Amino acid sequence: MVKIEYIMLASSMGALFISLILFVIFGQTTVRKLRKNPETKDDLGIEFASGWDILNVAGALALPRWLNRKFRKSRLASLCANAEVLDKHTNTFDRILAIIFIGLFYFSTGTLILLMILDKFGVFD
Amino acid sequence: MSEIILCNKPFSANALDASCGLNTDDLTGFGDANPSTLRPYLPYLYGQNLTATDKSILCQMTPLPVSRELTNMSLSFGADNTLALAEISAKLQEYNIGMMGTSTAFYAGRIEGFGGAVKSYQSALLEYRDAVKNKPALKAAAKQKARAAFNRMQQGFRTEMSIVNARARALSRRGTPLTNPTRGLNIARSSRNIAKLNITSQVQASNLVKFGKQAKFFGNGLAVIDFGSRIGSIHNSYQSGGNWERDMFIESSSFAASAGAGILTINAGLALLLVATPAGWVGLVLGGIAIAGTAAVTSIGVNHYIKESFGEVYDDIMNWIRSW
Repeated sequence: MVKIEYIMLASSMGALFISLILFVIFGQTTVRKLRKNPETKDDLGIEFASGWDILNVAGALALPRWLNRKFRKSRLASLCANAEVLDKHTNTFDRILAIIFIGLFYFSTGTLILLMILDKFGVFD
Repeated sequence: MSEIILCNKPFSANALDASCGLNTDDLTGFGDANPSTLRPYLPYLYGQNLTATDKSILCQMTPLPVSRELTNMSLSFGADNTLALAEISAKLQEYNIGMMGTSTAFYAGRIEGFGGAVKSYQSALLEYRDAVKNKPALKAAAKQKARAAFNRMQQGFRTEMSIVNARARALSRRGTPLTNPTRGLNIARSSRNIAKLNITSQVQASNLVKFGKQAKFFGNGLAVIDFGSRIGSIHNSYQSGGNWERDMFIESSSFAASAGAGILTINAGLALLLVATPAGWVGLVLGGIAIAGTAAVTSIGVNHYIKESFGEVYDDIMNWIRSW
């Protein structure tokens, strides 16, 4: 294995590991609280699989406001969590956790997909 | 290799010797070391000096619903084709991580449909077989039905059938019941009652059993099923004295990575849909299919990539720990 491939692979898998732990923590603290709250429980977005609302909430809290506003304008807005409502019921700690979790998760899986594509094209051979 | 004998009517020792030259002394049933008569729909091991693997394969195939299905399938398609079909359906189930979320309905429907089409072709062949033997008046109609079922299977599942056929061509030049309906009808008419399955591995056996059960997978069950098969491959490695810790590391990593890659693709696709298209639910349906396909491809790709390359990382970590 080429050194750069090795470093990318090991770091992305490490990041994925940490992000999955954060996934559980974020689900157990922030999302659990929001699921119980009658004002927010209908605004967590669609659950494609059990636990997908954790991803929706983390995405809504972590993405910049202008992007969230753009999502809201779409007719499919109910697919993702409503950031405006969630903002009122979460604190800075929730936001930071969401940013770290989603950041690590998207970084690591994105790198893995990139590696897979580069590997397919024989860049590392 | 384990040789499994299956039959659909009772065979006495003499009849067995006369029809296929097998000696009952060489047969072992589950909990029945030396059967005097073969019972229908019960698998028997053929051969002496049986290993633990042979016995565990036999044990897996013994439950009646499984063995009945496998017997019927082997008799109407031929033993090699049954093995090929089981393998294909196991391959299809590998898509399951890609099936999470939007893609669930799409691919689950496909697997179910494929299994269903094969099954209805099979039952049409069995019906034809019954008509030839007992109701000659219905023969032509049953033949027509089997051909129709064959055509449905070919048209609906071209991709899947081409994989089966590629394997089947290697097995027989005359074609097989799965490539050629005439051959299927001939085999059904010849009314064989006994079949032999040559099983070369545990994995093949468990594929067969799963195929026999024709289980349905939906929603969250998918991740559970996928993890189940991964645990199975770790357990195989453990039983065969392999480096199972290493396999566990690779299997669990590739599970996480491929699921993650699928999720990322789905989310990215949906975000694109939300921002870029003015279309509403119609856009979701069309875009959803595209996203589902891409997600499936991505997660399968990442799964393979991790399985190929992550062993090296494990070896390095172990060396690093040992050097301390």
